[in-house]
Amino acid sequence: MIMRFIKLTTAALALGMTAGVSQADDLRFTVWTGSEAHLSMLNEFADGFKATHPNTNITFETIPFADYVQKISLQIGGGNPPDMGWMLEGTAPTFIQSNILADVSDTLQATANYNFEDLSPSAMGLWQKDDAVYGVPFSTSPFVIFYNQSLLDAAGLDNPNELHAKGEWTWGALRDMADTLADAEQGIYGFETMDGQGYDGRVWEVLVPLVRSYGGDVWQGDTCTLNSATAVEAVQVYHDMIFKDQSAVPPGEMGDFFNGKAALTYTQISRASKLDEADFDWGIAPMPSGKAGSAPIIGQAAVVVFKDSPNRALAEEFLAYMTNEAGVARMAEFFPPARASVLGSDAFLNSNSRLTPSAMRIVANEINNGSVMPSHVNMPVIKSATRGTFDKLWKADADIEAVFTEACSRINKQLTRK
Amino acid sequence: MLSVVLKTFGDLMSALVSQKKNLFSGETLSGWLFISPMMFGFLCFFIIPVIAIFGYSVTEWNILSQDSTFVGLQNYQEIFTENEEFWLVVRNSLVFAGGLVPLNIALALVLALALNQKFTGVVFFRTVYFAPVITAGAAWAIVWSFLLQKESGGVNQLLALIGIDGPNWLREPNWAMFAVIMTRVIKNVGLNMILYLAALQSISPDYVEASSLDGATPWQRFRHIIWPLLAPTTLVISIVTVVGSLKVFDHIYLMTGGGPESGTLVLAYYIYERAFEFFEIGYASALAVILFVLTLVLTVGQWLLKQKEQ
Repeated sequence: MIMRFIKLTTAALALGMTAGVSQADDLRFTVWTGSEAHLSMLNEFADGFKATHPNTNITFETIPFADYVQKISLQIGGGNPPDMGWMLEGTAPTFIQSNILADVSDTLQATANYNFEDLSPSAMGLWQKDDAVYGVPFSTSPFVIFYNQSLLDAAGLDNPNELHAKGEWTWGALRDMADTLADAEQGIYGFETMDGQGYDGRVWEVLVPLVRSYGGDVWQGDTCTLNSATAVEAVQVYHDMIFKDQSAVPPGEMGDFFNGKAALTYTQISRASKLDEADFDWGIAPMPSGKAGSAPIIGQAAVVVFKDSPNRALAEEFLAYMTNEAGVARMAEFFPPARASVLGSDAFLNSNSRLTPSAMRIVANEINNGSVMPSHVNMPVIKSATRGTFDKLWKADADIEAVFTEACSRINKQLTRK
Repeated sequence: MLSVVLKTFGDLMSALVSQKKNLFSGETLSGWLFISPMMFGFLCFFIIPVIAIFGYSVTEWNILSQDSTFVGLQNYQEIFTENEEFWLVVRNSLVFAGGLVPLNIALALVLALALNQKFTGVVFFRTVYFAPVITAGAAWAIVWSFLLQKESGGVNQLLALIGIDGPNWLREPNWAMFAVIMTRVIKNVGLNMILYLAALQSISPDYVEASSLDGATPWQRFRHIIWPLLAPTTLVISIVTVVGSLKVFDHIYLMTGGGPESGTLVLAYYIYERAFEFFEIGYASALAVILFVLTLVLTVGQWLLKQKEQ
């Protein structure tokens, strides 16, 4: 009896040890999307990688956008970093300087047919330091206007593309259009800020496109220029839309373009998947011009591998797999590519079933002419330090110049802080 | 549970100190063994982190780069002399606690007195007032964020019915503080109500009856009989509520994110911000030590005040 027990126990232990040896490798990949369409596409990559790495399981872990950097930082600080993940351009310098991203250049160079040179140098600028490569952009997604064609038709207005063709698509035209289309009785606003978060998590995405199109910028070198006359004039346009025209969704309210509750918004084309069940016609257009002309903005995000990942080599292989030419072409359905060969191809123009080739041409043009959002080593601190100050903008009697001057005093401290 | 473990721990320690019992004698050993799992968790997840915070607070430690340098009391010096925001945060924390604690205790007492009567449906009302306590904090905060919208929020639509143009609750600094206090009170008042209710039901009817026979009015009965007998419960409730109000985080995080204009930026949220948005763990630890001391002073102060009264 005792011998039988010992045999059974040793057999169980042996099986357990064997199982341990043949245990699958698990890669934890953090993303900020919860979209089923995006996750389904990402899981296609995981399945494809499994063909050559049958013991690899890849889990995509969604962290809400607003909490993404904090949660990743906490995981890193707690010694439990994800193996790999998405990273926004704004946080790239901080993470690179903190030496927590893996240099993936050797793996990319060693991957057959990767064609590294095809990645646009301007798109790679943030992610390369000397010969080291800390990430590969999977999305160079320009901000584009989304408009509700059904509402425009009902009002008998030209749509933004028609105005653009006539050279009349300006912030002033957008303001007039929003004012005409706003219908308080129906609960419809004329304009919604990016993802409805323009007063909170995405306040920079409200300010930067306006300010740049008027010829200003948030800083130049180590000096904040947000309190310049051009920046103040630019933001005044949006301020008037909220408080004078009452055409923009005001702070403290929700008016979702994708549910038909706002006539216009701007965001990135990956959000087009939210319109699959829309009961209205819609289209996309370039961002409006300001006094200084057109100043398209590109939001960029890359796939990175964390240096302390226990599966770093495997994660780097998966990164190379996802961002090779075929991978980038597949992702182009949602995320405009950083690969010149894909961006210029007919395949790209037909890659997104939700958007016509002419709409995709708008996207390609915005990418070619666009600039990325501001980034800095201290960007997370800059955003936190100015959040309370920017709140003061969203009042009817706000003194925009005074608010920007206060913001600049906070930003300047961080721009010069080592 | 924790109080039982701590009491057992105290008994064991006093037995050890008085040397009446051998540390490893049968009964004492059993005591140690019974409390050891809980004590192990308490040690690992509470005592050690609390001690570690004091150590971290004298370092400059960046959570991302993991660089840590001993800087002595520099973090404290910066907090008290260079950080203007700190005093705003302390003020906000005290306003939050000062608004929430009296309101919570007064409302809990009124509800408990009302629901200590015998009337049809009393159990239903007790359940209704207690229900928010067991509701998930995140769900509570998010639902209230919708209800407190300027135009389409339920609260302002109700106010509009009686001709009041409600404010933009969560976008105006003073109203935002008021809104987070009120929603927090509604969320937690049920717990204090139940504690008061239990205390009221443990008061012997003989006292009430005797005072009635002596001709005491209902107010005199409450002021001179019931309120003094509720004193131990009031002490516990006030300590727990003060500590809870100074630690508030989730509610602020989900409803206002410390805004608008830092109007609801309280200490616990500020600690989070410095630690996980600025990545300054050393600085955040120094703030946590200050919160610890502030809470300790207020708790001991209340305790001493009550002792003096008694």
